[in-house]
Amino acid sequence: MTNSPKGFTLNNADSCRVKFARRFLRSLIEIKTRQTNYNNNLSSSPSSSSEIRRRSERIKLKAYSSMAHAVGPRKAWTRALLLKLHNRAKRHRFRTRKRSSLAMVLKKKRVFRVKNHANFYKPAAERGNYSVLNSDEKTEKLRELVPGGKAMDICSLLEETAHFIKCLAMQVQVMHEIADQLSN
Amino acid sequence: MNRTLPEMLHCLNSVGNLLAGNCTDMTVLDRQRARLKWQQEQLQQEEQQQQQDGYFNGSDQLNGIFFNPAQAGQFPGFQGLVGGVSVIGDTTANRPVKPDPSLENGWSELDRFEMSGIGFGSSATGLANGPGFQMTGAISRTSSSPPTVAPLTPEVKSRESFSPEKTSSAAGRESFKKRKADKVNNTKGVQEDDSREKRAKGSAEEGDSKITEQNSPKNNNTNANNRESSADTSKENSKASEVQKPDYIHVRARRGQATDSHSLAERVRREKISERMKYLQDLVPGCNKITGKAGMLDEIINYVQSLQRQVEFLSMKLAAVNPRLDFNIDDLFAKELLIIVIFLKQITIKQMFPACAGAGGFQTLGMSAEMSNSPYLQFNPAQQVVSCGGLEMGMNSHDMGLRRTISAPVSIPETFLDTSCYTQIQPPTTWDSELQNLYSTEFNQGRSSIPFSSQPFTGSIEASNLKMEM
Repeated sequence: MTNSPKGFTLNNADSCRVKFARRFLRSLIEIKTRQTNYNNNLSSSPSSSSEIRRRSERIKLKAYSSMAHAVGPRKAWTRALLLKLHNRAKRHRFRTRKRSSLAMVLKKKRVFRVKNHANFYKPAAERGNYSVLNSDEKTEKLRELVPGGKAMDICSLLEETAHFIKCLAMQVQVMHEIADQLSN
Repeated sequence: MNRTLPEMLHCLNSVGNLLAGNCTDMTVLDRQRARLKWQQEQLQQEEQQQQQDGYFNGSDQLNGIFFNPAQAGQFPGFQGLVGGVSVIGDTTANRPVKPDPSLENGWSELDRFEMSGIGFGSSATGLANGPGFQMTGAISRTSSSPPTVAPLTPEVKSRESFSPEKTSSAAGRESFKKRKADKVNNTKGVQEDDSREKRAKGSAEEGDSKITEQNSPKNNNTNANNRESSADTSKENSKASEVQKPDYIHVRARRGQATDSHSLAERVRREKISERMKYLQDLVPGCNKITGKAGMLDEIINYVQSLQRQVEFLSMKLAAVNPRLDFNIDDLFAKELLIIVIFLKQITIKQMFPACAGAGGFQTLGMSAEMSNSPYLQFNPAQQVVSCGGLEMGMNSHDMGLRRTISAPVSIPETFLDTSCYTQIQPPTTWDSELQNLYSTEFNQGRSSIPFSSQPFTGSIEASNLKMEM
């Protein structure tokens, strides 16, 4: 597994899928129960747009965290993602009022750090080849997308990207199926 | 090696017995220290013998274990020793001549192994082999000779053995360096092997010639041929010193490529990146036609972003859907396991029968309430396990379920299938047979050491896939 860039075998992928499905469903139910309690306490309308947005945000976070848990801490991106979510939850506990989206907060932070780290990846740019420069910029962009990508060299970044893409595809598929089932 | 090693050991043992075997249990460090001492001091004949014995022993072990400079170092030492023996016992001219063929045999063997270049291991054994042979011969001879010539020798022998030893240790170090380089080269696909072989041979012969040069003034009558060889190899020696290269080469450079370390490392890195890129190209749809790193990266970024957007959208959808599910908590757990069952079934159906007409029926059935009662949930053990985990949300039940699946004999799934499937629902008959086959194959495969409970199920899926494809 270390020398080959392949993420996981079919069997492992299926186990990941099932783990993710279980975790995600459990967290869905958690959210649901919490929300019903909340609604019972406050007796607010459950389907206002802000409520739905908040809930969708929570579901998304749960989806990401359950994906990271399902994959396990062996991959760098899962570690980074879990750390990120953990930090966010910690921050969230302090200021529950402001519910900025995870992506915005993290993007700001990431951009800042990427600027700091940009010096590491000069050698491709120094050659002056335009396409390489361009690809370098794109690599920076990819770094923002893959969690924990800002601290990787390019080889491991690509490897983690491959795994991340696989897991994201799996997640999307599972969520799609669950949504289909629930909306029926 | 296997054949020669007992011989060597036997010989060494005999020598050890002969010389009261004091040095057989010395450590390698002690041996090396003793060897140094032996080089520097001028000792008595018996002590010298003992230490030679220890030295040879040490080199033998070194050969056996990690095939060190000692093999090249000991060899000239041995030759010097042979020379010493020849001087000592100069009554018989054939005695010093006798080791020479063996030596040359050893060298030829060494050369053969070097030239063959099969791999590092084989060459190592060959190298360990050759000195072993020579060593045995040397030791046997020395051990046989000394009692008669003990009083004559000390200063002659020490002088003789001292001066070649220095050169030999130098040569040994040199050749060790080259061996290391050889190792690297061999592991990485051999291109410059010929030159290296030449160099190794050159170094070997270098040591040889030096020793012979040192030996030749003493024993003129015996080493005539050796002097010839030294004259032959002197040119090669100069060449060998010229062709020295750093030993950090990990990649071979093709013709016209830069060979300094930075460019080599850069090349390795680029190869790795391109490999990963190729893998990503397979992974990302619509990335096959795009060439060029920038375009591919663009495509990858777009794909990741689209996937993330999809996740967002789906979570929105789920959030919108979620309030419709008005259940109390128990019902929710039931719902969860129901969903899991459905989900798993869906997966199986999708993976087993991609175009199965019964899939839709299953889905609609799955939504009905009667699907959540227990006989159906015992439809197969894997689902049961999952439902257990879902019901009680605990690791204990989970483990129990896991144990149950592990310890489940082949008959249980069949009974499940027989009882539940036929009574509760009307699945396609192929389903039953398929599952039975699945379980038989699965349990035949003996997947009992499975860390996760759902893995039997996934394994069965895999098996079914295989079967379906076959």
